[in-house]
Amino acid sequence: MQLVPEYREDLERVERFNLVARVTHWGHTVTFLLCLFTGLVLFVDGADWLAAIFGGYGGAGLIHRIAAVFLTLFIAFFVIFDFKGIIDWVKDLLRFGKNDIIFVMKFPLEFLGFPVKMPPQTRFNGGEKGNSMVTPTMVILLVISGYIMWFPSIFPAGLVRVAYPTHDIAMVFATLMVCMHGYLGSFHPGSGESFWGMWKGTVRKDWAQHHHAIWYEETYGNKAEEEEA
Amino acid sequence: MAYMTNLYDSSKCTACRGCMIACKDWNQLPAVMEPFKGNYSTHEDTNGDTFTIIKFMEEEDPVDGVRWNFLKYNCFHCFDPACMQVCPRQAYSKTEWGATIHDPDKCIGCQYCTYACPFHIPKYRKREDKIAKCTLCADRVSEGLTPACARTCPANALKFGDRAELLAEAEERVKFLRANGFPRATIYGKLELGGLNKLYILTDTPDKFGLPIDPHIPKQIPFWQDWVQPWLGWLIPLAIAGSATSFVTTRILANKHAGHEEHGAHVEGGHE
Repeated sequence: MQLVPEYREDLERVERFNLVARVTHWGHTVTFLLCLFTGLVLFVDGADWLAAIFGGYGGAGLIHRIAAVFLTLFIAFFVIFDFKGIIDWVKDLLRFGKNDIIFVMKFPLEFLGFPVKMPPQTRFNGGEKGNSMVTPTMVILLVISGYIMWFPSIFPAGLVRVAYPTHDIAMVFATLMVCMHGYLGSFHPGSGESFWGMWKGTVRKDWAQHHHAIWYEETYGNKAEEEEA
Repeated sequence: MAYMTNLYDSSKCTACRGCMIACKDWNQLPAVMEPFKGNYSTHEDTNGDTFTIIKFMEEEDPVDGVRWNFLKYNCFHCFDPACMQVCPRQAYSKTEWGATIHDPDKCIGCQYCTYACPFHIPKYRKREDKIAKCTLCADRVSEGLTPACARTCPANALKFGDRAELLAEAEERVKFLRANGFPRATIYGKLELGGLNKLYILTDTPDKFGLPIDPHIPKQIPFWQDWVQPWLGWLIPLAIAGSATSFVTTRILANKHAGHEEHGAHVEGGHE
């Protein structure tokens, strides 16, 4: 069974994510998952076997902190080297509108594999916009509450107490989104091509036209060409 | 087994700090020097190597003049301790006679307990990256001895014994104190937080001894422990189950459509 759609070099491709975005994405994949599994050691009671993978609770704690620092550094990396990319991303999220709402409403059917006709989408579709809003927000909450819990003595005690449930809630929602995102960005037949967008940087032109018609038209279509000329 | 506890009588305490020394001696704790901060107390608060301290509280009253309140401050060994609720490694346990003890072998130094405790008692011991606190000398009591602090007290301000008996004694003593110049004398530890396994006879209201009048576990802690921890996490397996369902149904439906609709819009649209 085919899991991820084949990478077709013979078809025309268009760039979807630049190198900085991809490095940040996969850097966060590794560091987030490391933080997640080392953190679950404490969240799930009695996960001794999980702790053992990381060399016990002490080892898990150490890896959690090291991964967390790198996770923070990847955020800084993205901000420093592609600030414009972040601004463009946020701008696209702010275009959330009617088409996105229709997309999200119809999405459960698409999710299960029923053929659905979707309205044209911008660079990120309604679901991706939701993910782009929730996951980074949760990760920022995780980072802030995490450092507060790491160095509690330099923060007010009330803030430390708020940081505990915040870290857990943000973890759950971030992981929920990561699970869905990981599946939809790879094994889901409809959106699987976007995996190559993040891995190699390009997606098939016809896929882009079908799934992100507005984005394609604005970036690579006649409109964009006219603007350049 | 009945609850065994310490009864501390602030009206008898001379603040000699013998209990502090005995505690350090028995638990083999190094001295912790703190600079003078304009108060007779040797330490502002307990720390990882100081389980019990005598607090000196000066109080100026327009009628009574200056009064000096002493308080032996340490773990209160709550009946339902917050530290035990939040500890992710179950390092805390209650002995059958009521002491809250902490197992350093299980401790990972996360300090959740420090911030959950209404009294901020469990303290981080940096040199070991672990938490440490008063044990009510559980090791001594299990061998039939009294806690080091109670054994050493020369003024009889500390007394170890059966909690019910000590409570009766404390009630008598408070009655006596109220009739003899301490009208606001009270017992601390009888009802606070559902009962503490430490009893205090105070010559004045608890706030005059730097104690919260109505201590409570910070409300973020039960929200975290009773709602977030046990329930919210189920969203994650739900997401995984949803993805797994979709993984199967998308493939079943794709095969079905491929059968009679070879070049339908669905296939053309880039759906593999």
